[in-house]
Amino acid sequence: MKCRILAFVLGAAALAAPARTQNSPLPLPPPVEKELAARASNVTEVTLGKNMLGFAARFMNGKDKDEAATRQLIEGLDGIYVRDYTFDKDGQYSIEEIDKLRQYFETSEWSPLVHERERKGAESTDVMVKLVNGESHGMFILTVEPRELTIVLILGPIHMDELGKLKGIGGLGALGSVEKGAKNKDK
Amino acid sequence: MEEFEQELRQAFERRPAPPSLKRKLMDRRADQRGTQRRRGHIQLWQRLAASLILVALVSGAAEWVRHDREERRQGEAARQQVLTALRVTGRALDHMNTQLAAHDRTEQR
Amino acid sequence: MAHDWQPDFEQLVDDHQSMVFSIALRMTGDRGLAEEIAQDVFLELDKHLGKIGSPEHACFWLRRVTMSRSADALRRRRVRSTDLWVEFEEHHGAPVEVRDSPLGARLELLLATLPEAQRAALVLRYQEDLTPDEIAATLAEPVATVKSHLQRGLKLLRAKATDHLREYIRDKKEYIRGV
Repeated sequence: MKCRILAFVLGAAALAAPARTQNSPLPLPPPVEKELAARASNVTEVTLGKNMLGFAARFMNGKDKDEAATRQLIEGLDGIYVRDYTFDKDGQYSIEEIDKLRQYFETSEWSPLVHERERKGAESTDVMVKLVNGESHGMFILTVEPRELTIVLILGPIHMDELGKLKGIGGLGALGSVEKGAKNKDK
Repeated sequence: MEEFEQELRQAFERRPAPPSLKRKLMDRRADQRGTQRRRGHIQLWQRLAASLILVALVSGAAEWVRHDREERRQGEAARQQVLTALRVTGRALDHMNTQLAAHDRTEQR
Repeated sequence: MAHDWQPDFEQLVDDHQSMVFSIALRMTGDRGLAEEIAQDVFLELDKHLGKIGSPEHACFWLRRVTMSRSADALRRRRVRSTDLWVEFEEHHGAPVEVRDSPLGARLELLLATLPEAQRAALVLRYQEDLTPDEIAATLAEPVATVKSHLQRGLKLLRAKATDHLREYIRDKKEYIRGV
């Protein structure tokens, strides 16, 4: 009887949080991703654990200013998990699927920073931050557009101003705007 | 002088070799051949070992080169993945900024 | 035919050990050393047996190498003529008295007192009965040099022999008187 209760408790705990890859804080892909990927015309999936990030950092050009900054950023991270699905037409995914995605990543560790919805509901943005002792140790972004879904999960000590400095690389936005947006939301 | 030279020829006749000479010589010869065979075996093993080491070194070096090349390829692939991830992140943040800016404009009205 | 000849080591030893030993003995004046040199020469022959093409070649090769080894041995050891006299008597084994010719016995001793180059020429001339050309080929020296060594060596040996014979006759006389 005691064993059964323990098994139940453990099982419930496992369901509450996304499954982790072995020896990595990065989560395993939620089942819904497979379905979204099957419908997408273009799929970008990047999963880089701490070791892989360290490995990649070795091959960054230290002489290039941007790559040097990137190297500095990623060397301290625990993982990067990125998914981007582009669809040929509207309506290739449902609200329920988006909710499933959000719920999969939205655990108690995460504090919502931005939760923006278009009135018509066609586009949304969710930004969550993982705070540990008041320090940011992760960032989650989920952007939803009619024909594109993007999931970004960055784990590790990530400073917003660092991301802001990397404007030149791939057009990263100034994260100062995120904080401003969060403040506005609180009003 | 001819008489003297005759004396010399007589005096310088070949002396018989000591009886022990041939015996000692053949013994030494047998010893040397035994040593040569042993040395030959040792040399053969040494040569074999050296060949094996050389093969190991060459294949090790070839393996290292292959490994190095593979590592560079993987490293470059990982680097590209990082850049892709950051590009996607950047676009997501840009989208977020756009949305927030639109929200701000709406609220200001 | 020459190309059918296959060197047989043991046969070569039997055929030439006296020659080799005698050359070494007359060059060094030391029986023990001569035996060692002879062994070394034959062992070297064993290594080079494949290159020996004929019995004549074997003979030539043995003389040449014996001379060379003897010269090496002499270089390693400084030989003084008086010491060599003593050594010669000690190491020869056969007492000089049994010799048919008392002069002959002493000539060997006197040979040892000659300069090495002259000694070599005389040994090859009067022991091996080689011509000056053959001696030149064996010693790898010009014929003129060989002839010069032969001439001087003979002269010196003769002079020493004459002096020695006088001494010998005097000693014999004294001995007879004593009896």
